Amino acid sequence: MRNATKAADQAMSKDPAVGLRAVAALRRLTESLEALQVANARARDWTWQEIATALGVSKQAVHQKHSNRVPDQGKA
Amino acid sequence: MFERFTDRARRSLTLAQEQAVFLGHDFIGTEHMLLGLAVERDGVGGRILQEVGLDEDTLRAEVGRRMPPGAALHLRPEDGDALAELGIDLAQIRERVESSFGEGALPTARTGKVPFTALAKQALESSLRSALALGHNYIGTEHVLLGLARTEGGVAAEILDDVITVGDISERVIMKLRGMGHTG
Repeated sequence: MRNATKAADQAMSKDPAVGLRAVAALRRLTESLEALQVANARARDWTWQEIATALGVSKQAVHQKHSNRVPDQGKA
Repeated sequence: MFERFTDRARRSLTLAQEQAVFLGHDFIGTEHMLLGLAVERDGVGGRILQEVGLDEDTLRAEVGRRMPPGAALHLRPEDGDALAELGIDLAQIRERVESSFGEGALPTARTGKVPFTALAKQALESSLRSALALGHNYIGTEHVLLGLARTEGGVAAEILDDVITVGDISERVIMKLRGMGHTG
């Protein structure tokens, strides 16, 4: 909470090191959430095609990226 | 197990870890071990890879093609502060995620070390067996290469399979060792 309050009180730093670090962290957050949601969708029997559509990417892309991380419960 | 590894073989494993991190992967797979051998280019393993056209750059491109980069899944300990700069409260996000998906659903990476995959561990064991089969009491880069080639289902074996057979690797290893002392 302390950090969030600090950020709300202040403008964003113009230091590229700070800005780039934030972007990298944001990317890791999105990747983490994506992996979590894809695993959740697979566990709920969503097909790769349905997941790809929801994410707005191709089925190939989502399958290649996640198939080796998510336990494969079905062939889709 | 690692005490039997030669300096070069050991270094190739450290390099494998570096390559994994460099590619944004949070695991060491057989593909990173293969890259490690290529970077350790003066080892017997690295020299054989060069002979069949798998130098460091070619191999890195090949690995990147098969295993897309940017696959780093885990947040880092410093990310909370970095995100606060954007006004994002990571603690709050984690709390919401964990209340739905359970504790540890949004894990934070331990800094530094990335773990070996099951197949990579299998390849290490296969390296040991390859050394024993040749009557060697050490594990050199040549044995790691053989171990990788023999680990079916691994990305390294897939890449090697396209250019060279296990038998051919074995022959090259024996020929190379015949022409020199044991310095793998």
